Amino acid sequence: MICAAWFALHFLLIAIVCLRDTFSSLAQGVSGPASRPNELWSEAETIASAGLGGTLAAANPVRQGLAAYENFAGIEAGYGYFAPSVPSSSKLVFELHYADGRVEYELPHAGGAAAGYRIATLLDNIQRFHYAPLREAILKTLVYSIWQEHPDAVMVRAIFGVVNFPSAAEFRAGTRESYDQLYTYNYRFRSRPSRADAP
Amino acid sequence: MRRIWQRLQGFLFYPDSDRWLSILRIGLGLQVTLYAFSLRHDWSYLFAAEARGPVRRVLSEAILSSETRLTPRLGWLVTGGSYLGATEEITLKFAWLCLLVASCCLLVGWFCRPAAVLAWFFYLCSVKSGALLSYGVDNFTTIGLFYLMIAPLPDRLSVDWKVWRSIPIDPGRLGFHRRVLQLHLCFIYFFSGCTKCIGSDWWNGASVWRALTRPPFGLLSPELLIRFDYLLPLAGIFVCLLETGYPIFIWIKRTRKPWLAAIVCLHFLIGLTMGLYLFALIMIVLNLAAFAPASVPATKKTLLFRRQRHDIATAERRTVEEGSA
Repeated sequence: MICAAWFALHFLLIAIVCLRDTFSSLAQGVSGPASRPNELWSEAETIASAGLGGTLAAANPVRQGLAAYENFAGIEAGYGYFAPSVPSSSKLVFELHYADGRVEYELPHAGGAAAGYRIATLLDNIQRFHYAPLREAILKTLVYSIWQEHPDAVMVRAIFGVVNFPSAAEFRAGTRESYDQLYTYNYRFRSRPSRADAP
Repeated sequence: MRRIWQRLQGFLFYPDSDRWLSILRIGLGLQVTLYAFSLRHDWSYLFAAEARGPVRRVLSEAILSSETRLTPRLGWLVTGGSYLGATEEITLKFAWLCLLVASCCLLVGWFCRPAAVLAWFFYLCSVKSGALLSYGVDNFTTIGLFYLMIAPLPDRLSVDWKVWRSIPIDPGRLGFHRRVLQLHLCFIYFFSGCTKCIGSDWWNGASVWRALTRPPFGLLSPELLIRFDYLLPLAGIFVCLLETGYPIFIWIKRTRKPWLAAIVCLHFLIGLTMGLYLFALIMIVLNLAAFAPASVPATKKTLLFRRQRHDIATAERRTVEEGSA
């Protein structure tokens, strides 16, 4: 009986999370036969979120407990990877300005390929964040990590954008990838990195 | 109503051998070992609180705290370590080592239950403390580790079984836990397939093209791919049908093996062409654990247990039928 109750609750949560994310995809708008007014799907997404305690106060123990259980079981996110379509790739370029007028360019990097994939995920996450202060906080951290490698730079300009890769037909016609700049942030530094300088 | 309940019980608690559990344990042991090794040089860089890496750990943990304060994270370990006089660097290395040791124990099946719990705990800590850097593979590995942690361990291929000579596990319990994994995979593929189907890009091959050429996944050169561009819409439709049809065709006896083979091939190709090796491995492991037929026959003890359960179920059914007559 306990197993059956757990089973029912577990799959109810999975179903709600999956539906919420599917409604979210639909609310963001898709082309094709399933196109509907976005408000309808947004409302459906809100209802699904409410089923997961989304309308309760953040400190509410039910909401906290549900969110914790979802994290424990790895069911906090839906499964719409690369759906309804594969998004454009994000790109971040650092423009390092030195006191003598030199300008160098750098990309975010990591030691291994596995960490490289994770940094690519981070950049895609930045693209998805609509909350500007959070986006800026992440970019500040990225800029600071690069500045630690180039402590003589007096200014680092972080240029964030998306890479538009051509479609197969466009590629055949000779079109190549293009870069659309979305946000630019300038960070000025005075001395070598120390705890106090950390943005 | 009682009959429905009995049928549901029969479906959920069907007797099964522990072969699937061996696949899950060994597969997850391998997965977590490879995960730990793949990040060995970047572990401190990615999870340090100060901004040495691409993103501060405290930022990920602050976002996590806004959802729930109950989820494990590396910050807890670092705080605990500081009480013992350990620096953040040492605590992070200790966490990495614990994860590696737990995964190796899972591989051989030594102290299965504690190893499964520790592997789940440390994996969850790392994933949640680096939530901004995590992607699909982390979700699926957490799902697998969660199910392994609550599964009836040890299995007969583990060192624990050979050393402690454990009593046979109720095949009904084994069947129940496998059913949970099977149904979860059906949810995963169904919703993944449906979300792909609602857009037009998977039907005309645009998404396949973009997935294969998009950095950092673009391992194949676009010049090579463009020669076979007529296959792109077919590949897209194939993926949509394979995923959406999974919850139906994986249950039909005749289509189960070809469907399983196709989905395993799909993940193998994803790993090969997009460089998502760990993602491919975890999906193959979960699929094989859930739906691969038992390649080795059950032991005499398990068969006896199964026969006893079958006899009890038949007797109960007869009693109910007689009662209703």
